[in-house]
Amino acid sequence: MKRFFGLVLAFGFIFAGCAEKQVVKPEQPATQETTQKAAAPEAKAEPAPVAAKEEPKRVETVPVTEVVETKPGVVAIENIHFDFDKYNIRDDAKPVLRGVSDWFVKNKSAKMLLEGHCDERGTNEYNLALGERRAKSTRDYLVSSGVGKDRLEMISFGEERPLCKEQTEECWQKNRRAQFVIKNAAEGSRK
Amino acid sequence: MKSAEVRSQESGVRNKKQLFFIFCILYSVFCILHSADAKVYVDITSPEVKKLPIAIQEFNGKEGKNIADIIKEDLEFTGFFLCLDRAMYIESSLQAFNSKNWTVVGAEAVVKGNVNGEQNLIVTASFYDVFENRELFKKEYKGEKGSVRQLAHSISNDIYKHITGENGIFRTRIAFVAEDEDKKGLYIMGWDGTGIKRLGIKGDFVLTPHWSKDGTKLLYSSERGGKWGIYLLDFTKMTERNIFEAKGLNMTGNFFPDGDEIMLSSSKDETYGLYSLRISDSRLIRIISTRWIEVSPSVSPDGKLVVFVSDRGGTPQIYIMNKNGYDVRRLTFEGSYNTSPAWSPTGENIVFVGRSSGKHHIFTINPDGAGLKQLTDRGNNEDPSFSPDGRFIIFSSDREGVNGIYIMRANGESQKRITPAWLRAFGPRWSPN
Repeated sequence: MKRFFGLVLAFGFIFAGCAEKQVVKPEQPATQETTQKAAAPEAKAEPAPVAAKEEPKRVETVPVTEVVETKPGVVAIENIHFDFDKYNIRDDAKPVLRGVSDWFVKNKSAKMLLEGHCDERGTNEYNLALGERRAKSTRDYLVSSGVGKDRLEMISFGEERPLCKEQTEECWQKNRRAQFVIKNAAEGSRK
Repeated sequence: MKSAEVRSQESGVRNKKQLFFIFCILYSVFCILHSADAKVYVDITSPEVKKLPIAIQEFNGKEGKNIADIIKEDLEFTGFFLCLDRAMYIESSLQAFNSKNWTVVGAEAVVKGNVNGEQNLIVTASFYDVFENRELFKKEYKGEKGSVRQLAHSISNDIYKHITGENGIFRTRIAFVAEDEDKKGLYIMGWDGTGIKRLGIKGDFVLTPHWSKDGTKLLYSSERGGKWGIYLLDFTKMTERNIFEAKGLNMTGNFFPDGDEIMLSSSKDETYGLYSLRISDSRLIRIISTRWIEVSPSVSPDGKLVVFVSDRGGTPQIYIMNKNGYDVRRLTFEGSYNTSPAWSPTGENIVFVGRSSGKHHIFTINPDGAGLKQLTDRGNNEDPSFSPDGRFIIFSSDREGVNGIYIMRANGESQKRITPAWLRAFGPRWSPN
């Protein structure tokens, strides 16, 4: 008899154990999740605020681009362009690059940032690498024509900063470029 | 039961040993029974899965219909369930389960449930086998009113586990990149596209994040002040720190299985190469360096192989090597543009982006180069990766105009957008848990 009750009790333990587990288990991750999400700083992404913000921002971007355009107006250096998926310097870029190295002769302490860009076709990471290669080809060409390496910095923006957003070959060609940004331009032009 | 407790207390030390012995025997018997009980209703490993006809009744009480609908959506998306139309049901949700009411309808499994409480909900879900006329499980789920989706996903996970024997992905999250005011930031959401939140990190550009194996950290590359650095975000503390910065372009790959070491690509020192970095002591090892583009390294789940992209053959193609940089071989030969490789959780498959007729599509291939399959055919499709159970692929696509995030089954079926149309979204990665 005792043994029988032992059995019953043991069964009781097993089932009690299971039942308890089942009740507790699903709740735990639920709270974990909510605390994680609640902890996210500046968490916001409801459709309304994003849509509302887009409108005024679009108005603000216009004066920003205008400012950028007046600066290179002092020393206008046109962009050089590349073939699709390529990073070799094309013949049509060489006169521009000669102009750039002449500019460096005149502006002895000036420095330049070479930006490499791509068109929107292609995957992000590869396009960033491609953009960097375009910047590097540009730099190597300038170095071989006598510009000091330390005067040239490079950065790739991949497909992140297109000049034009249409899906046409003309537009894509505009975006596949190396862009010349004069650093401490004021200092350079004074000398 | 009560008398049993009293008696066993009286029985003393001598019987305790006996009791423990009986308990052990019973427990092992129970375990055997239990394992026999865990029958697999749907063998999802077989190539031609027969869908399980299932009835998901509206739960009684507040949010009851909502919960039942979420479970239905979850289960249907897996492709292993056929959810029967509620209009067909004979048994009302208030009636007790009776298998006779369901055989007529053609259901093989039935879900019924109740919701109690106002602010703090207690949901009881019961799952029944119609053929065997018995309850498979009955479970209680607790949560706040706002976490109805999470509660419903938990029920889906339990049903899925019971039917397939595998863990469901219904409570997993997606980390991704989205654009707001022309800046790209990191975002997080549920796998079903709900609960989108932006993580408040700095910088204007960020690339596809990678999860740590335990799902508590995110690894990503971000451009800040003209420098590309690699950052690690800790969800448990909501902190971020820079773990790698150097001149040039630095982009992170994923974690090694140990959770401490990562792969990355960098053009530091003017050479282009792939490196491994141990986070704990910043030990950097150069694995390969060439004069070509070498990017997007991805470590296999067993940590032995690395798949990456190189243009050493004239066009970007996917290559595979062992983790020390030896035995490099080319994996893709179709087409002139193959990038963005990611492993399946078993290491049996690699998903990547290939260009075909000028558009980008998602492909899968075996690590030995066999079994190439194209999974998408509309728009441009990028940034693919597998779900933690390997049954789904998440990717981004511009097929409906604005770039958004999509999921599909690993065979390409059931492609659907999960991000809202107003959000420009890219680079999704599925959380491991």
